[in-house]
Amino acid sequence: MKARDKEEYLSEYEILKKKGKSFFPYAIVKDSVMFVLVAAVLILMSIVMGAEQGPKADPTTTTYVPRPEWYFFFLFELLKVIKPPALVPLATIGIPTICMILLILLPFYDRNPERIPWKRPVASISGILVIVAMGYLTYMGASAGSPNEIELETAPEFEQGKQVVAQAGCLACHNIGENGAEGGLGPDLTEIGAMLPREAIKRSVAIGPGIMPSYRGLGEKKLNEVADYLASLD
Amino acid sequence: MALKIPIPGRKKESAPEPGDGAANGNGASPNGTNGDGPTRAEKVAKAKQATVHHGTAAAKNTTDWLDERVNGTGIYTAMLSRKVPKGTNWFYTLGSSVMFIFSMQAITGVFLAMYYTPSATEAYSSISHITNEVFLGEFVRGLHKWGASLMIILIFLHMARTFFFGAYKYPRELNWVIGVVLIVLTMVMGLTGYLLPFDQRSFWATIVANNITASGPVLGPYLADFLRAGPDFSATTLSRFYALHMLVVPGLIGGLIAAHLFLVVKLGTTAPPWVKAPRPKGSRPSELVPAGVPMVDATEMNLNGHSGNGHVEVSENGASLPTAETDGAAEGPPSEGEAS
Ligand code: HEC
Ligand code: HEM
Repeated sequence: MKARDKEEYLSEYEILKKKGKSFFPYAIVKDSVMFVLVAAVLILMSIVMGAEQGPKADPTTTTYVPRPEWYFFFLFELLKVIKPPALVPLATIGIPTICMILLILLPFYDRNPERIPWKRPVASISGILVIVAMGYLTYMGASAGSPNEIELETAPEFEQGKQVVAQAGCLACHNIGENGAEGGLGPDLTEIGAMLPREAIKRSVAIGPGIMPSYRGLGEKKLNEVADYLASLD
Repeated sequence: MALKIPIPGRKKESAPEPGDGAANGNGASPNGTNGDGPTRAEKVAKAKQATVHHGTAAAKNTTDWLDERVNGTGIYTAMLSRKVPKGTNWFYTLGSSVMFIFSMQAITGVFLAMYYTPSATEAYSSISHITNEVFLGEFVRGLHKWGASLMIILIFLHMARTFFFGAYKYPRELNWVIGVVLIVLTMVMGLTGYLLPFDQRSFWATIVANNITASGPVLGPYLADFLRAGPDFSATTLSRFYALHMLVVPGLIGGLIAAHLFLVVKLGTTAPPWVKAPRPKGSRPSELVPAGVPMVDATEMNLNGHSGNGHVEVSENGASLPTAETDGAAEGPPSEGEAS
């Protein structure tokens, strides 16, 4: 903003402020109406929805549903949209960081003295796009299951293997039932048991064919659980 | 009890007290070192004599006592009788709604803290206790839980308002920067608070959140280690999250809100961008007000009230009046006491 623009703005503002009303009581009244409204909504929400309490945290069980609060859904969704694991840090930390920096520095690179929204289309359209994107991602997060959850029913003896698969992040590339990466990097595993014998599955998981990472690090016990579980899918 | 706003002009109506002349003029030092005026203490004593027999004396004395020390009326004048520009609409209530809901969170949070135990073994049962046994416990938990969601919604709406109104532009850039930090801190509140109920959901979501943090570039692993209080999730993690959630982050938010509001009061809130000052046809605004006329900063109320006697404020009818200053508070009582 040039010095002349600043001066123009300040003098215009001075006039508008002189023509304005006193904060007390005029603005205070509006604020108070808003407070009452917000308080009413809040009280209603806590009466209707209450505050439920889930089962106690248990670090030893693996039957968990890691779901963040809804206002972090958009971050979680970014994690899913970006598939290759090498880019995951970019999605989770990199992109939010870049967005934060862009947001903080906004007044310093948007030097257009114009303030009317429809007369600064670039800023307004970018703003609307960001809102739409965040809304969409939040909606996706709300309607989709968690990236570490498999909803497909299993017999109890395979439950353990199912949880290992869910936790190990296989769903980033594979699809199992309704969950995971449909059309992702790896083949659909929903009926893998019908296509591959148990030993072949175990070997695949341990070796990691092609771009799939090796999961030998899981240890023999977990590898067997995984193989049992996947072989049961048919 | 109404707060008294010292209107400087009114001083002239009161009969001058003997020896007050120097004190009323400019430059009387408040501690009375210039000899001919009464000392500040004498003036106060006189004020007490003058008002002590009145029925409302106690209330008034308290106001005056406070006023003399903190210049509360100066703050009051600056905060409340400031002007909001023409066209100010309902969108301008979003900021104060955020502040309102933040105070609600602080209040309900204090009540929850009275019953909550931040230890891995007892956290869950203390939450059960609050939910099932404490009077109105689940209601207060609900207020706090849904209040967090409402605060996030309102803070985003407030940011959208300032964005689309171009309110982040000159001279309010700093307020935008403070605002972005506030929104991040509010999200951090959501993250740290989510663990505290210590049920499966919150526990595992926090593990995942921490792993995500750890996958970040450069600082990521260190930040995750700091949050977890070590390489693994442990009992200390919970107390660390609790300390962040109820002391560190709210403290930062409170301080930044104060800075944010200070700037709002000092700079004034914007008018909606489409509201324009009426001006003679064809003239540019810079011709309307010639350069050199004091603008926002010069005519603004000064918050601290200490900035000396030369400070001039243009009043509504255009007359120049000295602004309220600390000394005015001490001089107030004699003028009120003349009826006794
Ligand atoms: C980086 C993405 C990725 C991840 C993560 C991943 N996979 Fe794979 N997986 C693949 C790809 C790609 C293939 C196909 C490889 C090929 O045949 O070239 C594959 C193949 C397989 C196969 C063999 C399927 C077949 O039809 O040959 C199995 C079984 C399998 N993965 C299981 C798993 C399990 C279990 C996990 C989690 C522990 C996992 N995968 C994690 C990408 C991945
Ligand atoms: C705890 C959070 C916050 C509180 C309590 C708060 C409070 C307020 C209040 C009371 C105002 C006065 C005008 C109004 O109500 O609209 C205001 C103005 C402003 N706020 Fe915030 N705010 C917060 C967060 C933010 C955020 C996240 C941003 C943007 C990134 C922001 C940017 C601004 C700007 C630029 C103004 C000046 C607007 C104008 O003059 O019209 N604030 N804030």
